[in-house]
Amino acid sequence: MPADAAPAFATPGALGPGRLIGAGGMLGLWLLLLLFIVYPLAMLLVRAFYDGGHLALGPLLSTIESPNNLRALRNSLLLALLVGVAGTVIGLVFAFTAERANLGRRAGRLIDFATLLPLISPPFTTSIAFVFSFGPRGLITYDLFGIGNIQVYGLTSTFAAETITYFPIAYLALRPMLASISSSFEEASFSLGGSRWHAFRTVTLPLIIPALANAFLLLFGCSLADFATPLILAGSDFPVLPTEAYLQITGMFDLRSGAILSLLLLVPAGLVYYVQDRFVAGRSYVTVTGKAATASRRDAVSPMARIVLVLACILMTTVILYFYALLFYASIVMAFGANSTLTLQHYRVIFTEGLPAIEDTLFIALIGMPLGGLYGIVVGYLVGRTRFTGRKAMEVISMLNYALPGTIVGIAYLLAFNDKPLALTGTATILIACYVFRYSPTGIRTTIALLQQIDRSMEEASASLGANTVTTFRRVMLPLILPAFFAGLGVVFIRSMTAISATIFLVSINWTLITVKILENMTEVALGPAAAFSVFVIVVVLVVTGLLNLALKRLTAPSLRVSRIGT
Amino acid sequence: MTKAAKLQRRGVLLGAVASPFVIGSARAADSLKAYSIWPENYARPMLEAFEKATGIHVNFIRFSSGEALARLIAEKGNPQVDVLFGGPVETFTAGEDQGIFDAYTPPSAADLPGRFKSTKGMWTAIADDPLVFMTNTAFLKDHGLKPPTSWNDLLNPAYKDMLQMADARTSGTAVTRIFSILQVNNRNEDAAFGYMKKLRKNVQAYTKSGGGGTVPVGLGQAGGGIFFIVDALFTRQKGYNVEISFPKEGIGSAAECIGLVKGSKNTAAAKKLIDWATSPAMQSLLAPAKINFLPANPKVAADPNLAAILKSANIIAIDDKWAGENRKRIVDRWVAEVLNAG
Repeated sequence: MPADAAPAFATPGALGPGRLIGAGGMLGLWLLLLLFIVYPLAMLLVRAFYDGGHLALGPLLSTIESPNNLRALRNSLLLALLVGVAGTVIGLVFAFTAERANLGRRAGRLIDFATLLPLISPPFTTSIAFVFSFGPRGLITYDLFGIGNIQVYGLTSTFAAETITYFPIAYLALRPMLASISSSFEEASFSLGGSRWHAFRTVTLPLIIPALANAFLLLFGCSLADFATPLILAGSDFPVLPTEAYLQITGMFDLRSGAILSLLLLVPAGLVYYVQDRFVAGRSYVTVTGKAATASRRDAVSPMARIVLVLACILMTTVILYFYALLFYASIVMAFGANSTLTLQHYRVIFTEGLPAIEDTLFIALIGMPLGGLYGIVVGYLVGRTRFTGRKAMEVISMLNYALPGTIVGIAYLLAFNDKPLALTGTATILIACYVFRYSPTGIRTTIALLQQIDRSMEEASASLGANTVTTFRRVMLPLILPAFFAGLGVVFIRSMTAISATIFLVSINWTLITVKILENMTEVALGPAAAFSVFVIVVVLVVTGLLNLALKRLTAPSLRVSRIGT
Repeated sequence: MTKAAKLQRRGVLLGAVASPFVIGSARAADSLKAYSIWPENYARPMLEAFEKATGIHVNFIRFSSGEALARLIAEKGNPQVDVLFGGPVETFTAGEDQGIFDAYTPPSAADLPGRFKSTKGMWTAIADDPLVFMTNTAFLKDHGLKPPTSWNDLLNPAYKDMLQMADARTSGTAVTRIFSILQVNNRNEDAAFGYMKKLRKNVQAYTKSGGGGTVPVGLGQAGGGIFFIVDALFTRQKGYNVEISFPKEGIGSAAECIGLVKGSKNTAAAKKLIDWATSPAMQSLLAPAKINFLPANPKVAADPNLAAILKSANIIAIDDKWAGENRKRIVDRWVAEVLNAG
């Protein structure tokens, strides 16, 4: 890093080895960001805009002017907006209920489990449950309610399926925030004569605004980039951009207009990011002050509100559990809807023919997990807490691969790493890099959001005692942002097990993935193995995230336990 | 690959992971590599039989036709596989135009009719796959319909929003369907597109892959659709109650092919696979494995059940050369005038 950054980046008196490590680390980090984010995208842009050495804007203009593409863009924005709002609201209801409604241990566990399921599922699982459940012969619409003239394809289904798939992300982002808000603030409001609603509105809500904005941004981005759900559920009359871009590239062999189409998505993604950034900036959300805070014993919600909240959660939880029961059922019958004979045949298939994919996926996920977790908190800390030249650039760059539709990231990697000197296609490295740089932004955002709640005086205290930046980070900040580290670990592992949109272009003869096998099985009319693979992924992820939670509990001393990850 | 070899490979790759700047090219050349467009449950038994016959292990991964082609084009500078196995002829003619194949004419090609081989030897057929109408039995009963026997039957308002068929951008099934419609309209494009626009009103979803709509039709979530016979019969084998019928005006068929990838690193082994797949050695295994492709090699008789189903069918020829030359224009027109007309 340039020397002019030193006064801010390194704390006073830090001219020793700590600073050198800091500078070296910084250089390495920039190199990685350039190599795995900037370079592939640059290659993609070159492919999109250059034609035989000349800048060619014709394709760009004709893509933008096409009314069909504009319709797809409108549909995408509408869908992302709806999913962002609905998912954030549902996530907030769940987080608030879990943290404030004094649920019993068991009920709390059940909610945690139900919200976890969509998050850790391979793509297509919710969509497939929708295809089974709704529509002219759907289990719910026809067999339960006798409605025969209804369509499962279109905006409503896509919106509902994406909301169910993604709201747990909002829940995960919001719950630690609610947990970290000392109830003594709410208590203070009560003791000043405020009602519970008044306390929620004037104390709790403003405090979690950064987290709400964060959750909305994450969901908006997820929906904007999701091609799997619309691919199954959007039908012929609701085209969205990621699916169009995906089909353009995979089908028409037209990298250029596919790339341009998906680049259109960058505009809204960037806009939302900008708004969120401005919206959150300039407010103080400090609630972890290092001073002892006593827990309130008074209930934060009235009995009536509690019933409504709990009922809402129960309803949603039931829907989710039903979907997954359906998935499990599909994995143990010969052929769903045709032959209900129970069988373990599908599991036998995945553990014989599917075994290489299982081994490869686990290997990649386990390598990517620690790398992604570390990368997340390091970038989050640098961006959220230090000042240096290029800080803003680092923040934006680190978000790019996440904000871009996976299809584009995948194609960009394919273009960038196919030839020497960086011929990485066909290796595990390219898959791991893709996951780490694409899915760590959750860890980054969580770190930043958590840091916004931690008073700067804690670091100043450390610095005034002679500690340098690295020591301060390690001894003071690290324990406080450990939950963010574990959230980062969890998300990278889960995504490595479940994501498909980018990596479908990067799997190879040598390394393949379970998710790709699932998609393949679905196109082969082999729903049984697809369901069995999905169940397997869910079980593995449950076990690993369970272990992560256990480790987090062990590692955080009770006095420092700011929050838990919601898993 | 043995467990030890796999572990060793892991070790090598672990090293590569630890330092992404070290590019290890320690790729074992002990086996043949292929992209298969045939689904795994069709390709695996065939390629395992090949290994039994020759001792050459084929390491393969399955992609839909559009994806496999996009990959081969993207990998032209650094080919990852030796053979493209299975998949409709239109994918191979498009690939031929993109220069992804090396010429190789297997001995069996001499026995094949013209539409089963590339004039330049870039690809050779290993099977034939006619299109069919597939309808849900209960749906037909509920609506008092008979299985459709004319393209115009599909325009019946009873099918409104109840048909599923493949998207021409990704699926070879769809491209073959569109060229069938053109052919039965005597290549009068305006008439053919007029029909397709009318048909669009009855389509609830265009699926990414050719077989994508088979389960919805099997479940009754869709009333029917147009599929390759191999997918339709597989749906029936699974236990779904579906009807298979053919339009009296005629319907097309796609040759399923194999081709040698340009820059293949195991050319000798690749040629052996092409020889084997185009010969009776492989194609006589299709019927016993309950894989309902028609053999391309005239020396192999079709499965009697399959032949019985096809007896009533009017299968028409689609001129590959004409289709290849007009493919992009026709698909573009389909996207603009049919897909986006909704």
